Amino acid sequence: MRDINSGKELVEKISGFIKDYDFEIVAVENRSELTRFAESYIHQNVAETNLGLVVKIINEDRIGMATMNCIDDHSLSQNIQKVIEITKISPKLDYNYRLVPPQRYTLECKFSQKTAQFTPLARAQLINQLVKKVHQSKYNAAGAFTTEVNTLLVANSEGVFAFDRGTKVEFNCVITKKNSTAYYSFISEEIDDLDIERSTDKLLLTASRNTEQTEIEPGVYTVILSPEAVSEILNYTCYSAFNGKMIMEGQSFISNNRGKKLFPETVSISDDPFEKLTIPIPCDFAGWPREKVCLVKDGVIVDGVYDHNTALKYNKKCTANTLPPEHSSFGALPFNTVMKEGDNTIEEMISSTKKGVYISRLHYVNILNPMSIQLTGMTRDGTFLIEDGKLVRAIKNMRFNTSVVDMLKAVDMISKERQTKPGFIGSTVAPYLRTNNFTFSSKTSF
Amino acid sequence: MKKILKDILSWLETKVSYADLRFVQTEKEHIEVENGILSSYNVSTNRGVGIRVLADGAWGFAASNNLNRTSLLETANKALDIAQASSLVKKGEIKLAPEKKHLATYITPITKDPFQVSPSEKIDLLVKVTKAMLRDKVKKSEGSLEFIKTYKIFVSTDGSEIEQTIIESGGGIVASAIGEDDFQKRSYPSGLGGDYATCGYEFIEEMKLTENAERISEEANQLLAAPPLPAGKTDIVLGGSQLALQVHESCGHPIELDRVLGKEISYAGGSFLTLDKLNNFTYGSPEVTIVADATVPRGLGTFGYDDEGVPASKTYLINKGRLEGYLMSREDAVVLGLPSNGAARAENWNRIPLVRMTNVNLLPGNLDLDELIGDIKEGLYFDTNKSWSIDDKRLNFQFGTEVAREIKNGKLGRLYKNAIYQGITPEFWKSCDGISDKKYWKLWGIPNCGKGQPSQVMHVGHGTSPARFRKIKVGASQ
Repeated sequence: MRDINSGKELVEKISGFIKDYDFEIVAVENRSELTRFAESYIHQNVAETNLGLVVKIINEDRIGMATMNCIDDHSLSQNIQKVIEITKISPKLDYNYRLVPPQRYTLECKFSQKTAQFTPLARAQLINQLVKKVHQSKYNAAGAFTTEVNTLLVANSEGVFAFDRGTKVEFNCVITKKNSTAYYSFISEEIDDLDIERSTDKLLLTASRNTEQTEIEPGVYTVILSPEAVSEILNYTCYSAFNGKMIMEGQSFISNNRGKKLFPETVSISDDPFEKLTIPIPCDFAGWPREKVCLVKDGVIVDGVYDHNTALKYNKKCTANTLPPEHSSFGALPFNTVMKEGDNTIEEMISSTKKGVYISRLHYVNILNPMSIQLTGMTRDGTFLIEDGKLVRAIKNMRFNTSVVDMLKAVDMISKERQTKPGFIGSTVAPYLRTNNFTFSSKTSF
Repeated sequence: MKKILKDILSWLETKVSYADLRFVQTEKEHIEVENGILSSYNVSTNRGVGIRVLADGAWGFAASNNLNRTSLLETANKALDIAQASSLVKKGEIKLAPEKKHLATYITPITKDPFQVSPSEKIDLLVKVTKAMLRDKVKKSEGSLEFIKTYKIFVSTDGSEIEQTIIESGGGIVASAIGEDDFQKRSYPSGLGGDYATCGYEFIEEMKLTENAERISEEANQLLAAPPLPAGKTDIVLGGSQLALQVHESCGHPIELDRVLGKEISYAGGSFLTLDKLNNFTYGSPEVTIVADATVPRGLGTFGYDDEGVPASKTYLINKGRLEGYLMSREDAVVLGLPSNGAARAENWNRIPLVRMTNVNLLPGNLDLDELIGDIKEGLYFDTNKSWSIDDKRLNFQFGTEVAREIKNGKLGRLYKNAIYQGITPEFWKSCDGISDKKYWKLWGIPNCGKGQPSQVMHVGHGTSPARFRKIKVGASQ
């Protein structure tokens, strides 16, 4: 799909093979390059050009899907015919399926020509700069540096047609020297936003503090979570709680708590593609134009997000959160999770903490109980004890088993500064956050 | 296709110290049914070529779905450019463990081709079982089937030419009992997407989904009314499917040599099984022997050759409790001065081979299951994974299971819900004092092992039979 015209040609071509049936098309063309380094050398360096095309055929409330990465006539015709035959023998849906009507799209993907043209050599040069600098302090560096161009096409037989192209840069790095480690991550559409010098300095500063870790006992603590850690918790919370399908099926914390004020008024969470820190796309994967959806407003639980299928089934409004067709049976996810900023600085948050723990990064988070949004996971790459308003020492990694509901109820400080981090789909904008209810359940020896 | 691959390989030969090309074509059917309604029937085809070169002592890899000769030459050129860029940040010349030239063909042995079974038969099966599960508080029932046929051609500058056809079949069912403010799931034959094998449709027939549907629905209903598991320290038995994930997370991943060498440290983490521990570390009790075996019939990690052209093999990783080996690629094996044991696998044509699990199997012991449970005065039987988490050195783990049953005076008793258990990997495996015998041993297929950047999902197997562990910390999620 070189341009919008080739997108239109593709739709026409597919339409010609389908003829008498309604259809939806999602195509994502991906040109992605990634350089991975560890022990301070490049050990993987890859580039990929690929196309993911999904054609969904609707035959009187019977649906079938064909997924392919080749769009020659033979592949298209063979796969589409197979799916048409399947729709003839499938049981009908238990609701009437309707296509999204034609829409106008105001949002655009963010695109940077410079990111699109960034070369493997240019990535290697930036990595080399970082590696050399951390070596001076006898640290090793490991991480990944991705640049990509994604072209999205969403269309259907009713006349929906969305076509856009965006870029993405992702960079992450861990530096290590024995037990001293630190982590930095970055996501944006613009390569010029990546400041390697500054990120290297940040890494070295955190790592220099994260040495000679000592143990603390498990228990309930006041913690300050970094944007990295907050975004991880938000991602799992969205996955577990704000999926409209799970809500309607009674399998989410939100199912019985819509309209309840459970959190302080400072806590607001939304899915907001218009927030300037996010990386948006113009529509969801059914063709609905993306919009802002309040999930938690001023401490009150509002509702979740809804995909096209769930909205049709339960007579709800689709919030433009339909996932790519191959994941449609999961339901919906926020694409651009945003936690509203507070008015504190991180320095104020630390200096006003009598006793607490600062968490830089979480590892291997998982859902323990969706009905209380209880999560488990580990801390890593910089966990610090705070006493009398100061980071006094590094501590060994801890396992947490904590309820996000209890954690958010006890939030008393949120930073003005927010950072963009990867979401499960799209991106997540998260601040620093202080809570007085965070449960560590066990410890480690490192 | 093979001719084009060989032509491009010839063109590369003078420019590289090593190169391999992989053509991969995948045909897949994925079917999902919810409450007797077909929610997804996805037929997919995917093909492309990945070109990996070692030039200037560094790696380059480029992949494309455009398969004409001109495009693939451009892709090869791109791989060379990338290798040149990689050489800017290197520690030394990358070397590969030597490997013989292989001219070979491998095909998964199957009895019933899943792609010849009609879509209606597959849909009917899932409709029937999901309807049968809708009883009492079970308001949601799910069933899924998946079939994959992967055809691969591998050619390398070592002279190898290998063609493989791997066929996989899998599926499972889930019953969700939904109450006022709680829901409980019961899955069969295992959690997290079902059970998979390199096998034909006979694997689905042997699962006996229909025969088990009502039972798991009844258990989901019972779980909804069951009390949460009280916290404490007690003796436990892990059922086979939960033990498969325990092996996966606490042995399979930390024993990957690339992870040990720090290559995954920024993302998935490192490993406590550092090189100084090889042949010099007590990982578990003498009961515990774990092998990586890519040759075992039906294993989801069974193949003829890995994606570096190394033959499938069997390696002792833990032998009677002692660390004896790692999962290795050709590049990483050089560090130990060993040949690769054939554990470099790529998800598809657009990914490079990484060190991955094949079938990492806990060998059976010599106890009957009745004896294993019979020796416990007070304890618990955990089975079917629900949640998992482990730290970045693979030491501190916590697993949640769908069910925990009380064991009292050697007999199974009441059901508990929201069960979790925690431990530290070597302490946990050292507490293992019994493993049930081979008649309880089964290969489990895990189709969703994630690793690497860009992410690669791998299909791996784990053979287990239920095992007993002493004085383990248990409790319930809140």
